[in-house]
Amino acid sequence: MSVLSIKDVSKIFPNGNVRAVDSFSLDVADGELVCLLGPSGSGKSTLLRMVGGFETPTSGVMTIDGEDITRLPPEKRPTGMVFQSHALWTHMNVFKNLAFGLKLRKVSPDEIKRRVEGVLELVGLGGYGTRGVGQLSGGQQQRVALARSLVLEPKILLLDEPFASLDQHLRERLREEVRDIQQRLKITTLFVTHGQDEALSMADRIVVMRDGRTEQIDRPDVVYREPQTPFVAGFIGTMNLVEGTVSNGIFSRAGYSTPLPVSDGPATLAIRPEALDLAAAEDGGQGKVHRVTDYGTHGLVDLDLRDNTRIKAMVSHPDLFKAGQGVTLKPRAIAAYRDNALIHRA
Amino acid sequence: MTMTTPDQIGSVTPARRRPYGLLLVATPVLLVLWLIIWPIISAIITTLWVPTPEGSAFSIETYRFFFSDGYSLSNLSITLWTTGVCAILLLVVCLPIALYLRFSNTKVAAYVQGLAIFPMFVPSIILSFAFIRVLGPNGTVDLLFNAVGLPKIRTPYLTPWGPVIGLVWDNIPLTVLILLSGLGNVSNQAIEAARDVGAGRFALLWHIILPRISNSILVAISFAVLGIFSAFTLPYILGPAAPEMMGPFMQRTFRDLYDPQTAITQAVITFGFCIVFGLFYVRSVAKNRAA
Amino acid sequence: MAATLTHRKIDWTGIAFAVVLTLIIVFPLLVVGTWAFTNVWRYPSVIPQEFGLRFWEQTLARADVWSSITMSLTLAFTVTALSAAICLPAAYAFARLDFPGRNLLFFSFLAGHAFPKFGLLVAIAGIFLQLNLIGTFWGVVLIQLVGTLLFMIWIPVAAFQSVDRRMEEAARDVGASPLRVFWSITLPQAGPTIAAAILLSFVGTFYETEGAWLIGAPQVRTLPVLMISFINNQPVIQYGAVLSVLLWVPSFIALLFARRVVNSGSFARGFGG
Repeated sequence: MSVLSIKDVSKIFPNGNVRAVDSFSLDVADGELVCLLGPSGSGKSTLLRMVGGFETPTSGVMTIDGEDITRLPPEKRPTGMVFQSHALWTHMNVFKNLAFGLKLRKVSPDEIKRRVEGVLELVGLGGYGTRGVGQLSGGQQQRVALARSLVLEPKILLLDEPFASLDQHLRERLREEVRDIQQRLKITTLFVTHGQDEALSMADRIVVMRDGRTEQIDRPDVVYREPQTPFVAGFIGTMNLVEGTVSNGIFSRAGYSTPLPVSDGPATLAIRPEALDLAAAEDGGQGKVHRVTDYGTHGLVDLDLRDNTRIKAMVSHPDLFKAGQGVTLKPRAIAAYRDNALIHRA
Repeated sequence: MTMTTPDQIGSVTPARRRPYGLLLVATPVLLVLWLIIWPIISAIITTLWVPTPEGSAFSIETYRFFFSDGYSLSNLSITLWTTGVCAILLLVVCLPIALYLRFSNTKVAAYVQGLAIFPMFVPSIILSFAFIRVLGPNGTVDLLFNAVGLPKIRTPYLTPWGPVIGLVWDNIPLTVLILLSGLGNVSNQAIEAARDVGAGRFALLWHIILPRISNSILVAISFAVLGIFSAFTLPYILGPAAPEMMGPFMQRTFRDLYDPQTAITQAVITFGFCIVFGLFYVRSVAKNRAA
Repeated sequence: MAATLTHRKIDWTGIAFAVVLTLIIVFPLLVVGTWAFTNVWRYPSVIPQEFGLRFWEQTLARADVWSSITMSLTLAFTVTALSAAICLPAAYAFARLDFPGRNLLFFSFLAGHAFPKFGLLVAIAGIFLQLNLIGTFWGVVLIQLVGTLLFMIWIPVAAFQSVDRRMEEAARDVGASPLRVFWSITLPQAGPTIAAAILLSFVGTFYETEGAWLIGAPQVRTLPVLMISFINNQPVIQYGAVLSVLLWVPSFIALLFARRVVNSGSFARGFGG
C-alpha cells in the first residue's frame, strides 16, 4: 500500500522568476492512476520530475507512505520513471537494461533472471532478453522501458508522456496495455500527458494543470461534464466558449441571447458542440452557417455569430444545413464562468 | 518534516557546484596558461626589455638587428615565398579534388577521397625520406628517366622547391577536408536552381559555389599558412642550408648558436606575420564549435 | 533522367584524379617499402638486384633503434595517460557542469592554435631553459602534453554532450549513484569517441618531431628524431627504409580505426572547415 502526498510544492528555476510549479498539492491514493494533464509549459513534467527526484522543489514537501522524500536523490527514492524518449541504455541488451537496477540492489543472479523474465512476460516481450535495444521497434522499446521500471517493484510508477513518440495506432494499444498492467499490479501511478484522450481513457483521476497551478482535480467523466474553469472547458474535448454580458438574467453576445440566471456582469458561456441544437431561421437568425462538414456518422456545422464569433455544433443530419443559411441556437446544456470560476450549470 | 525557504536551496546548490567544475578543469587550464599564454607574453617581454648595465630597459634592438641583418631577412623572405607558393598550390590542387568529391558518388570518388586523406596517416618524417628516395639524386625518377634514355632531373632536394613539394603533400588532406566541409553547405537545390535558369559550369562555380565556400577557403588558407610559416621538419630535411626557413632558422639559433634571445625574437616575428591568419582561424573554429 | 545518365558514364575525371594521386601519394611510399626489403639496389637498375630481409636484422640489431623505440613508446604512453587523466574529467565538467567562466576557459584551449607552432615551441623552450627542462624526458612530456590538450578536451566534450541526459537519469532512477552512472552509463556511451581521441593523441605524440627535437635532442631520442639523423648522416639507405616501415605501424593502426571518424563531417568542422 503506497500513497503519494504532495503538499504546497513550488519550483522556481534559477534562470527567470517564473514559477514552473506554483503551490501544488495532490494526494494519490494506493493503486490509483492519476494523470497530470496540461499544455506544454504547464509544469506537469517538472512536477513529475520533482517526484522522481530529478528536480528539487523550491519549497514544499512530498511524502511516500508518510516518509519525507523531498530531499532524497533519485536513487534513494522508491519511484520508477518511464521517460518519453524511453532512455534505454543502448550499450546493454534488454536483459541487462532490466537487470542493472537489481544488480545495484545486490539481488542474486538466479533471482534477477526470474524477475526479469517475469516482467518481460508481463509486458509481452517474453524471450526478448538477448535482443539489442536498437533491434526493437518503438513500441517494444517503450515496453522495455516500462519493464525496467516495473522490475524494481517501485512504490510509485511515474510515466512522462511515454507514448508521445509513437504513432496513433500504437499509442492506443499501449495505453490499454499499460492500464491493464497497472490495474493488475495495483501500482500507484502518476502519468503525465498533454493528450486528453490518453487522460480520459486511462486515469482514475485527472489533474488539469495550467501555468504551474491546478485548474481541476476530478474523475475523467466529471472533468469532461463539469469543467470547473473555462480553461478546463476549452482544454478537454471541444467546447464553444462565448464571452458576453449578463443583464437581468439574460446572457447576450452579438445578437445571440439566452436566459442565464446569474447576477449582472461579464460571463463566459460554455456549450459543447454535441449539446447544441440548431434550427433553420428565415429572418437571418442568430448566426449564419459558414461551412457544413459531413463525417458520415454525424455532421459538424461551423457558424458565425453577427460579430463573426465562430461556433461549432454537432448535428445528426448535416444535409439539413447549407452555407449562408441563418440558424437559431438551442443549447441543451450550458455552463457559465465568471472570474475563472463556474457560476452556473444547466 | 523539513521546511525550507526558497532562498536556502536556491543559494546552496549552485554554490556547492561551482568550485567542483572549476577544480576538474583547473589542471589543463593552468597548463594552457603556463605553457602557451605565459611563454607568448614572456617572449614579447624578454625581447623588448633588454638587460643593460644599469638594469633592464625597453629596447627594440633585437628586432632592429633582425630587420637589418641580410641573412635574417633572406630567411624571412624565403619563408614568405614558400608559404605563398604553398598556399596557392594547395588551392590549385585541392579545390578541384574537393569539387570533384562533392559532386560525384562513384566508387572511383571513394578511392580518390581515401587517397586525398591518406597523407594524414603518413608522418612527415617518412614523407621526407620517401621524397629523397624518389626525387633525390639517383632517386626512382632518375632511374626511370635513365631507363627510357632521358637525362637526369634537376632534383628539388635541398632547393627551395623541396619544402614546397613536401609541405603541399603534407597539407592536402586537411585542406581537402575543410573545403569539402564548406562545399557541404552548398545545397543541391541551389545548384539545380542555377542550372535551371541556364548557368553553365563556369558560371555555377563562379557565382554559386565560390561565394558560398569563400569562408572555408580562407579557413583552409589560414590553417595552411599557420602550419607552413614555421614548419620545421620538412624544410629542415628537404630545404637548402641557406637561406633557410624560419623553423630551422629558429631551431639553429636556439640549439646550435645557444642564442635563445635571438631565437625568441624570431619567434615573435613569426607570430607577428601570422597573427591575422591565426586570429581568423581561431575565430572560425570557435564559431563552428559554438554552433 | 540526367542523373541516371551521368552515373552510367565512365568517370573520366575521377580516373584521372585517381591515377595522378596514386602516382603522387602511393608511389613514393611503395618505393620506400621496396627499399626496406632490398638487399642490393644499385644505380641504374630499375628494380633491385636482390630482395631480402638482411637490413631488417641489421636495423633491429642496432641499440639506438631499440632505445628510441622504447623512448617513443614510453613518451607516448606517458603523455597519453597524463592527458587522459587531466583532460577527461575536465571534458566531463565542460559538458555537464556549470561554473563561472566555462565558455572562456573552454575556448582558451584554442589559444595555441592562433600561433605558428614552431614559434610557440621556441617561446616555450625559452621558459624551459630557465627551468632546466631542456634535454630532459619531462620537458618533452610537458611540451607534447600541451599539444594533446585541444583534441583530448574538445572531442570528449562532444562525446559527453551527445549522451542522452535521460539515460543518465534513468540510471539514477533505478538506484545508481552519480559515480556509478558515470561509470556504467556515461562512459560506455561516450566510449568509442573517447577511445578515438585517445588513439589520435597517442599517434600524434608518437610522431611529434618538432618539440622532441627542439626540447629533447640529443639526450631524449625518439624514433622520429633518430630518423632525422638517419636521413642526414646514414649512408645506408635501407636503415632509413626499414625504420620508416617500423615507424608507420602506429599510423596504420590509427588508419584502421580512425578512418570513419576522419571521414565524418564533424572532424573537418573541428578544424574550422
